[in-house]
Amino acid sequence: MSGVRGLLDPADPPARQTEKLLSIVEVLMRRVEHGTDLSGAAYAQFERAAMLEEQVRVRTQELELALALLNDSNAQLASANRATEAARRNLTDALETVQEGFGLFGPDEVLVLCNSRFGEQLRDIQPALVPGLSFPDYVELASLSDALVLPDGVTPQDWAIQRLRRHQDRSTVFTVALRGDRWLQVSEHRTGDGGTVILQTDITDILRAEREARGRLLDDQARMVRATLDHISQGVCIFDAGARLIGWNQRAEELLAVNRQRFRAGLSLGALLERLAERVQPIEVTRLRALRDWASQPGARASLRFAITRDGDVALDAFAQEMPDRGFVVSFTDVTTERRAIAALSRANETLEARVSARTLELGEALGQAKRANAARARFVAAASHDLLQPLSAAKLFLASMEDEALTDRALEALDKTRSALVSVETILDALLDISRLESGRLTVRPEPVPLAPLLARLAEEFAPMATAKGLTLRLRATQAVVVSDPTWLRRILQNLIGNALRYTLTGGVLVGVRMGSGGLRVEVADTGPGIAETDREAIFREFHRVNARASASEGMGLGLAIVERASAVLGHTVTLESRLGRGSRFVLHLGPAADAAPTPDRAIAPDPPRELPSDLIGLLVARDADMRRALAHLLEGWGVSVLDTPDTTEALALIDEIGLAPDFVLIDARPGDEEDALRLMRDLTARHGPLPARLLSATRAEALRLRALRAGVPLLYKPVDTTLLQRFIAASRNR
Amino acid sequence: MRDEVVLRAEASVADLDAADVLRRGLSGEALALVVVFVSPQLRNPAVLLTRLSRALAPAQVIGCTTAGEIGFLGYAEGLVVALGFPARHFRAEVLVIPDLGALDAQSAIGALIRARGALARKCPGWEHEFVFLMVDGLSAKEDELASALAPGLGRAPLFGGSAADGARFLETFVFHAGLALRNAAVIAAVRSECPVRAFKVDHFRPTETRMVVTGADPARRRVHTINAEPAAREYARLLGKDPGQLTPFTFAAHPVVVRVGGHHHVRSIRQVDENGDLIFYSAIDEGLVLTLAEAGDMVAHLSDALDALSADGPPAAILACDCVLRRMEAQEKQLTGQVSALLRAHRVTGFSTYGEQWNAMHVNQTLTGVAFYPPKRP
Repeated sequence: MSGVRGLLDPADPPARQTEKLLSIVEVLMRRVEHGTDLSGAAYAQFERAAMLEEQVRVRTQELELALALLNDSNAQLASANRATEAARRNLTDALETVQEGFGLFGPDEVLVLCNSRFGEQLRDIQPALVPGLSFPDYVELASLSDALVLPDGVTPQDWAIQRLRRHQDRSTVFTVALRGDRWLQVSEHRTGDGGTVILQTDITDILRAEREARGRLLDDQARMVRATLDHISQGVCIFDAGARLIGWNQRAEELLAVNRQRFRAGLSLGALLERLAERVQPIEVTRLRALRDWASQPGARASLRFAITRDGDVALDAFAQEMPDRGFVVSFTDVTTERRAIAALSRANETLEARVSARTLELGEALGQAKRANAARARFVAAASHDLLQPLSAAKLFLASMEDEALTDRALEALDKTRSALVSVETILDALLDISRLESGRLTVRPEPVPLAPLLARLAEEFAPMATAKGLTLRLRATQAVVVSDPTWLRRILQNLIGNALRYTLTGGVLVGVRMGSGGLRVEVADTGPGIAETDREAIFREFHRVNARASASEGMGLGLAIVERASAVLGHTVTLESRLGRGSRFVLHLGPAADAAPTPDRAIAPDPPRELPSDLIGLLVARDADMRRALAHLLEGWGVSVLDTPDTTEALALIDEIGLAPDFVLIDARPGDEEDALRLMRDLTARHGPLPARLLSATRAEALRLRALRAGVPLLYKPVDTTLLQRFIAASRNR
Repeated sequence: MRDEVVLRAEASVADLDAADVLRRGLSGEALALVVVFVSPQLRNPAVLLTRLSRALAPAQVIGCTTAGEIGFLGYAEGLVVALGFPARHFRAEVLVIPDLGALDAQSAIGALIRARGALARKCPGWEHEFVFLMVDGLSAKEDELASALAPGLGRAPLFGGSAADGARFLETFVFHAGLALRNAAVIAAVRSECPVRAFKVDHFRPTETRMVVTGADPARRRVHTINAEPAAREYARLLGKDPGQLTPFTFAAHPVVVRVGGHHHVRSIRQVDENGDLIFYSAIDEGLVLTLAEAGDMVAHLSDALDALSADGPPAAILACDCVLRRMEAQEKQLTGQVSALLRAHRVTGFSTYGEQWNAMHVNQTLTGVAFYPPKRP
């Protein structure tokens, strides 16, 4: 169904169809003719709106396009105007900030613009220099200006023609002189479009400054040369090519001592030298002649140096040198002082050598004396050790035996003091001998592995009574350490350290310990004594130094630490000390690395056994009296015997049991009343170890006792003990 | 601060606290204008409008009744949908035409020009503007009103919709200042710093089948006869249908168009009267040549049109007046879901109308609206 045919229903009869068509046509015709009547106002409004809408849409588009174009061109115009205005303003501002006069002529040779400085120097014509002026007019004005100074013989017309010729060049720079010694530099450049830029720079200041600077430079140089010449300590004479004096300094007058009137410019070298020749040594005259020859020599001259002595005492060093203009300079230096100093030095040198050889002779003698003294001391040490100590021991034994005699109280007191005195002497002698041996340098030490345990145990035992007597504790730490050292001297060192510590400690105690550190083994002896002040720490190692003078002579003469230090040095050990006043001291003996091997026993005890006694003997010594025990032990040890000493019989038995080894011999000191104990001990020992060589030391000469002792296997040895008998008994004991 | 260009809220008419729900949905910003679309299912819309006006003062609350709403999820019914225009981005002046029967065109034009002038003075830096119209959909005065206002529009585009009453055609309201008005119109002139773009979408093309209106009552938009036959029967005959089976869905699928100024414009049929007359949604007259139109692909058309709006970046929101016949067509062709998805995706809010206004014209079966874009910050 399409087109207008659809308007009719094919099902209608033709009459109906015609009728409908007529109706349709009528309504359409009415609409065409009447358009819109009132009844259809609403639709008409819609229709108008629709028509309008379309028109408006099209118009709006066109309008918007036009508006956009207009806006764009307006914006462009505005920005172009702004840019032009800004550029013009910038240019004007820039030109005004320029220090030079600036003028711009267009391609048509007419002044376009200029700044306020343009033509400033040509005051009379400046008002005429305004835009619109032609270039030839400008040149003519300038040429006629009063301010312009024309070169001689040049008319303003000539100048103008010359100027216009210059204008033909693309670029030109020239300077014109103005009145009042003023100068103007004019530079002219062609612009890209054929215009001309003119820059006028006032260069008066520059020119003047340059002129002044040049003058000042010359003056300055002359002044500087003069000042330098006057300042230096050399005399300087300057000669021209004709060898005539043209300059000199004051020093030259002084050094050459030439009359002032004679010393003048133009003086010839020859004349100067002649005057000088009269005053130098005859031998030096040839040198002056050489200078004269040098000066007259043609061609290049090498520098010349020579020395003269004026008036016998002023030494001068002269030096001549050529200058570029064939003139030359001769300088003189006063070397008098240096010469004198050198002479003095060589004299001093001779004296010194003489003194040195004299002193060397003296020293040789002194050395000989010292050697002799040392040998004497060594002999003394040897003598003292054998001849002095042995009788002393004997004296003590005799003294001890006397105690059992019936004596008066006064006699006993005297005896006691005598014994004390003897002990003191013995101690001091021991120490002195030790030091002498250590210092003699002849001491031979035999380092070997030494187990510290037995060594310390024995020291503990030895010092226990002393500690107990003073109410101090003495503790020695157990150790398994073995060190490499000389056993005798090691023992002596520790003995001294411990003895010293106990001696100076009033309360508390002494602790001996062995430690293993990075530096090796060390034995530390620490006490709770008064401490040692910093200032005393070096002094205590000196002989006869005692920190506390209260100690009696019998306690030593302050030799202990001296021995310690020297012995340590010989053994390669070191001793250090830490101490705090009022708190105590700690001596540390650094022994070096531990040794691996166990030592052969007992060697430590008998380093030097007498030849007549067998070595390695062990003797049991029982003596209740401490002095007696010490004296005997000392004696026996002196013979190379190892001594087990103990104060009482019970302990002796325990000691032997502990060791589990029978001694080679037994010595029992019996005081009246002690005999029974001694016999009982002997019986017990016999019961355990069989018969042992033994002697009972007694002052009691009763037959009954003698027989009982004999039966007990311990014959009597009467006191005072005969050392010869004792020695024989000991020697025999080995052979059983 | 919320950064939406336009705030959206919706509530069910069944919700006794609908006013609170909407107020909360629009809170957080000082508002210049609030537009509400109210389902006719709401018994007493004036109560809701009064509460909203108080709650959102000083923002002016305007609105109208609908034939269905477009909410967050697309096509919906039984909702109150609201759009809030933040004062940060918008200024609005509201005019009311209280009685369309006594429309004084000159004074309406004058009022509109003054309103736009006031806005231009208040926010001279904001260059974007539009005029939004809501008019009683049963007044039959839309063509006259749109035409009358046109001289006052200047360069501002006008778009709007006719208030509706579902499928009942009994009474339609526009709202202003808490009042529900009949036979009235509300006009909002709006100026914004946000770019806006008004648009109109339809998807019909004319066929070769034409007919002539031989008898009509233009004042009541009634056509008695077409081709000198009773109108409904002749329309049905041309469609090849039984006159007794004409329904709104038929009208939606087969609108008629008139050709004016080189363009075709849809004149939609609203209903068949008992006497066989056809009642139209827009102005009609005797002697008009009506052309049957056929529908194109509704979804594709809509999608293309909405995509075109996103050419320079997606709009922040779209306010749309959608002809009720389009909703019916979608329903008939079972396209409701697809259309809703498109509306949802493009953030379209609006309502189903009894007709749309586009500048000076009252038109039918279009989707007409405005898209809002985020402000261009220098």
